[in-house]
Amino acid sequence: MNVSRREFTKIGCRIIIGAAAGSAVIESIVAKGTASQDPPGDYDWNAHYWGYVIDTRKCIGCGRCAKACKLENNVPFDEPVYRTWVERYRVLKGEDVKIDSPNGSIDGFDDDIPAEEVKKAFYVPKICNHCDTPPCVQVCPVGATYETKDGVVLVDYDYCIGCRYCIQGCPYGARYFNTERKTADKCTWCYHRITRGLLPACVQACPVGARVFGDLKDPESAVNKILDKERINVLKPDLGTKPKVYYVGLDREVK
Amino acid sequence: MQPHLKRVFMLLVIAIIGFVFVRSLIVPDSFGEYGWYRANSVNDIRNFPVKHAGSASCGDESCHAAIYSIWKDSGHKTVNCETCHGASGEHANNIRILPTPANDSRDFCGLCHFKRVARPENFPQIDPEIHGENLQCTYCHNPHKPWFV
Ligand code: HEC
Ligand code: HEC
Ligand code: HEC
Repeated sequence: MNVSRREFTKIGCRIIIGAAAGSAVIESIVAKGTASQDPPGDYDWNAHYWGYVIDTRKCIGCGRCAKACKLENNVPFDEPVYRTWVERYRVLKGEDVKIDSPNGSIDGFDDDIPAEEVKKAFYVPKICNHCDTPPCVQVCPVGATYETKDGVVLVDYDYCIGCRYCIQGCPYGARYFNTERKTADKCTWCYHRITRGLLPACVQACPVGARVFGDLKDPESAVNKILDKERINVLKPDLGTKPKVYYVGLDREVK
Repeated sequence: MQPHLKRVFMLLVIAIIGFVFVRSLIVPDSFGEYGWYRANSVNDIRNFPVKHAGSASCGDESCHAAIYSIWKDSGHKTVNCETCHGASGEHANNIRILPTPANDSRDFCGLCHFKRVARPENFPQIDPEIHGENLQCTYCHNPHKPWFV
């Protein structure tokens, strides 16, 4: 080699600087980066941060929420998949705990254990917790699931490759595989409704007010009125997922 | 500059241009606008159709105003029309499309009213074996105002 060390370093530096500058220039030409803008329409997602309260003491287990959800969101009725469902917990006299949710509660519940053998019993509605630090979003390899600025975890049905990591990653079992779209799917808190000023279908369908939905940013909202007054809890707080579904009257058996 | 270094340099430039080009083809429109996702998908989801119209839209002056005003002061005022009648958004938009008829069976009322251990005690519940002589509930109760026939 007849290149001096000095010469070699010079050329090396030029290549590195040139490559970096070149790719930056090309990137800025090719990138379709329109500046960040809010979705069109009169909805401002920076003005809201949604939250959900479930009062398990009120739930009567009629399952109308789960039915309304399937109707609203085209979830197949002949598959055992649910965006929201109601679980029945029965603590028997012998300390046994029976947990079930036949057909996600859509057909209601039968008392198949005689009332005399049951110590206490209650219903617990379940739904995606729309975690603030969602593990399902973290595991997505392609960026097809995300948390919106107003705090809703959504799936991009066009971009999802259907690898099902997120379904495994959700500690609450809130995701399922949509066999029609061949993608993962989950509760959206009826994002198409709440951004038009409507309530989620399950909240609207609840006959006893066990499900409450509202804006955590608005101190006067229905959810904040409950959060300010009641003793609340979330599911699996030890996981650090920071759920935004808050429970009133949660029993220690509920997981 | 030596020719062999030039060649390496050219290769590097081609590789970078190729990478940027291929990347621009593969990465979808609007990816990364708000975060590591396709910003357009937010609007795709916002544009889904609304299927439940809500009770207020049933009570429109020229529609079911009578049933609505009875229901509004009844024991069933917390039970929305569509909780019994099913999603009726299409019907509210176009009255020629009729909603599926409400289920008036005993079992349907029973989803909410049959005695069950897990139900809160203060919720009105009946024993299906002895209540109502096995007649349809609507024989005695008006579903839109359950107390008076
Ligand atoms: C508790 C369940 C329930 C709720 C809530 C309910 N309905 Fe009904 N509705 C029924 C049933 C059951 C029938 C079948 C009629 C019958 O057998 O008397 C019916 C019948 C009807 C009919 C056709 C028969 C008629 O009387 O003209 C209309 C219209 C109607 N409902 C409108 C409404 C509207 C509007 C609301 C909300 C304000 C509403 N319903 C809420 C159960 C319900
Ligand atoms: C989706 C659940 C649901 C369905 C279905 C339903 N109800 Fe109700 N019903 C309620 C709620 C909620 C109340 C109010 C309870 C309260 O005041 O605490 C109620 C109240 C009543 C009451 C008055 C009880 C009282 O003490 O005030 C009667 C009677 C009644 N319903 C009959 C019926 C009949 C008949 C049907 C079938 C056509 C029916 N219900 C279907 C939820 C339902
Ligand atoms: C033969 C008429 C008749 C039929 C049929 C009938 N009921 Fe009743 N229902 C009554 C009368 C009368 C009362 C008030 C007296 C009482 O509490 O038993 C009543 C009360 C109720 C109450 C209030 C109970 C409480 O503790 O406040 C509910 C809920 C109820 N009925 C639901 C139903 C349901 C659901 C059906 C159908 C499975 C039904 N009823 C069928 C006559 C009837």
